[in-house]
Amino acid sequence: MPKEQANWSPYDNNGGSCVAVAGADYCVIAADTRMSTGYNILTRDYSKICKLADKCVMASSGFQADVKALQKHLAARHLIYQHQHNKQMSCPAMAQLLSNTLYYKRFFPYYSFNVLGGLDNEGKGCVFTYDAVGSYEKVGYSSQGSGSTLIMPFLDNQLKSPSPLLLPAQDAVTPLAEAEAIDLVKTVFALASERDIYTGDKLEIVVINADGIRREYMDLRKD
Amino acid sequence: MSIFEYNGSALVAMVGKNCFVIASDRRLGVQLQTIATDFQRISKIHDRLFLGLSGLATDAQTLYQRLVFRHKLYQLREERDMKPETFANLVSAILYEKRFGPYFCQPVIAGLGDEDKPFICTMDSIGAKELAKDFVVAGTASESLYGACESMFKENMEPEELFETVSQALLASVDGDCLSGWGGHVYVVTPTEVKERILKGRMD
Repeated sequence: MPKEQANWSPYDNNGGSCVAVAGADYCVIAADTRMSTGYNILTRDYSKICKLADKCVMASSGFQADVKALQKHLAARHLIYQHQHNKQMSCPAMAQLLSNTLYYKRFFPYYSFNVLGGLDNEGKGCVFTYDAVGSYEKVGYSSQGSGSTLIMPFLDNQLKSPSPLLLPAQDAVTPLAEAEAIDLVKTVFALASERDIYTGDKLEIVVINADGIRREYMDLRKD
Repeated sequence: MSIFEYNGSALVAMVGKNCFVIASDRRLGVQLQTIATDFQRISKIHDRLFLGLSGLATDAQTLYQRLVFRHKLYQLREERDMKPETFANLVSAILYEKRFGPYFCQPVIAGLGDEDKPFICTMDSIGAKELAKDFVVAGTASESLYGACESMFKENMEPEELFETVSQALLASVDGDCLSGWGGHVYVVTPTEVKERILKGRMD
């Protein structure tokens, strides 16, 4: 008798795109607010961005139930860290914690595609990009999610990140000003909404700089 | 790996002011091994009509031979070249003939029609035409190409600016795709001349 296959999957893809761009003294993290399943929209107003620490913000696309569980886990670990060390976790520290947390579930992964953005201990912008099982890299900019194949080539063309193989080691931080970076992110999402059916509705932009964290919204195509 | 991704390809055609550009990458691979870095994916049907074929290379070659044959017969009978719209219909019909055993190709057709009006179209492997006014893309890097072209396209670009735009879009897109790349082949076609240029990009 032929082997029967399970036709129930524990995962679903809720779609969406996330982008993060690091600057000399700021970091911009953005994600659309559409949550979908299959060809249907569940809601037009769901935030994929979560503040993990004072200067550290994560945007995640993929299966939002796993994303929510991951966010709760990291928030709990951050609270413990604050109790033990009497300070907030820095962005590079949170980056390592996220990587370890993802790999812990290597054989039943969090279906979550993350970008982490924030300021490091010196106040310089940093962006970390992840795959679903925790492989990560510090970069100057990144995109994840359903629109990332459309967005990445455009970001590469505009921001041309230096290769990590170059010597002497070059800075991964982009030379753009904060306002220019925000404009670039808005352009990129307008572009993704045109061709990706899972990206649209509204764009949520979070900007972290020395003054703190601020949030901005922009309307996108609703079709 | 899907049969459409066996050889790897990237194709784009874009419309400008009384001109068009059609461009492709140069890699021919067998899954992840690179076999040739100078593979021609775009062929000339006549001075004002170009055909690019992405997908399985053997099907692309066979399809090209059949189409050239049909066009030569047309030239003998009608004593003139085929219009791009007519040629697109021909390609669509030939692909649909093989509806239940298709050619694994996605063609991109670009030509200058009556009054030097540029015409571009693409179709799927069984001949469903997609006419576009701005640009069409095909191949393994098609999603990246959509993103890059959508952001860089402007209406009524002159040939030189159109060449720059398509080159940037092509090179940026194939850099993110491991199955296409090794430079670019760009044809800029205006009513008076055809300029063929080779691009050097990331050779990996």
